[in-house]
Amino acid sequence: MFDPFFAWLESTSFSVWMRESPSIFSFPIILAVHTIGLGLLAGINVALDLRILGVAARVPLAEFGRLWPFLWFGLWMNVLSGLALLAAYPTKALTNPVFYVKLGLIAVAVALLRSIRRYQASGDQVPTASRRPSMKRVAVASILCWAGAIAAGRFLAYTYIRLMADSRPIPRPWIPWVPPGP
Amino acid sequence: MSSLQIWLHATLRGATPVAELMRSAWAWPTVESIHFIGLTLLFGTIAVWDLRLLGLLPRVAIADLHRLIPFAVLGFAINATSGSMFLMTEPDQYVYNPAFHFKFFLLAIAGLNVAVFYATIFRRLRSLPPGAVAPRMMKLFGAISLMCWIGVIVCGRLITFYRPGLCRSGEPLAFIIDCIPRISGR
Repeated sequence: MFDPFFAWLESTSFSVWMRESPSIFSFPIILAVHTIGLGLLAGINVALDLRILGVAARVPLAEFGRLWPFLWFGLWMNVLSGLALLAAYPTKALTNPVFYVKLGLIAVAVALLRSIRRYQASGDQVPTASRRPSMKRVAVASILCWAGAIAAGRFLAYTYIRLMADSRPIPRPWIPWVPPGP
Repeated sequence: MSSLQIWLHATLRGATPVAELMRSAWAWPTVESIHFIGLTLLFGTIAVWDLRLLGLLPRVAIADLHRLIPFAVLGFAINATSGSMFLMTEPDQYVYNPAFHFKFFLLAIAGLNVAVFYATIFRRLRSLPPGAVAPRMMKLFGAISLMCWIGVIVCGRLITFYRPGLCRSGEPLAFIIDCIPRISGR
């Protein structure tokens, strides 16, 4: 159904440049940027999760406020580099169910980040005993979501069904339906 | 091609049980996922530490924040293990890969930086109370570390774009002969 859109996107000069340019600054460096963004966003997030779970407990949580710009910078790096990578191979990503698993896990992780942000900003000023166990659960969920998103992202390279809009579908034994396509 | 590379290649190829495991279904992507999760743990905790050294979190006591470091070490251990598994499975893809050489060079600098840091100012920094004026040298260690790890990630990601042609990179006959069983096995 979306094939004409995928075909059009794949024919745009940016998409062609991403795929075919011999320049290291097209696909390779944008992929590297995506990984550094991952390190900043998920990495600093995991460091905050560890602190919530009691690691380095003597560091006041309120002191970590200055980490947020780096974390958000990582998020924007990855939104932009991710869109560029998606523009390079829209069919490859959007016809693969694993891609939606990745996006879903990222959405949950970023939603959890909002409550982590609130908790961090309130710092140790609000030692509400009831909130601590629930924040620990949030921290564990956050770590698991990022680990899952990372694994899903890595598996994209091995689970795609169609590379391009005009590619034949690759049969994947773990997919119960016959993928559509030319 | 140096004799070191030939020796390394031969040694890594000796680890056949690991290679067999890695060639089983889904093993390679799974170990890759673990490698990227280790990356996140290592880079995230080290970034927070380096930003502290760079002066971003001046009121955080170094001794208190140092409790985060075992997790960076854990991330490193995860990645040293998973990374070795790639090397033992496809040694020629790494031993003859310029991106991989550069990655190792940056890893060595990062390691040296850590060694010098612990040998010199760490003890003094650890005894400082939160908010105390720290020696400016501290920032240099943080900057070197952060740049090295960013470089390690970039080079790691570039490995796949600098892959030597399968078994084509070897001039010495020994290396080519070594590759023939693999080509015919495919």
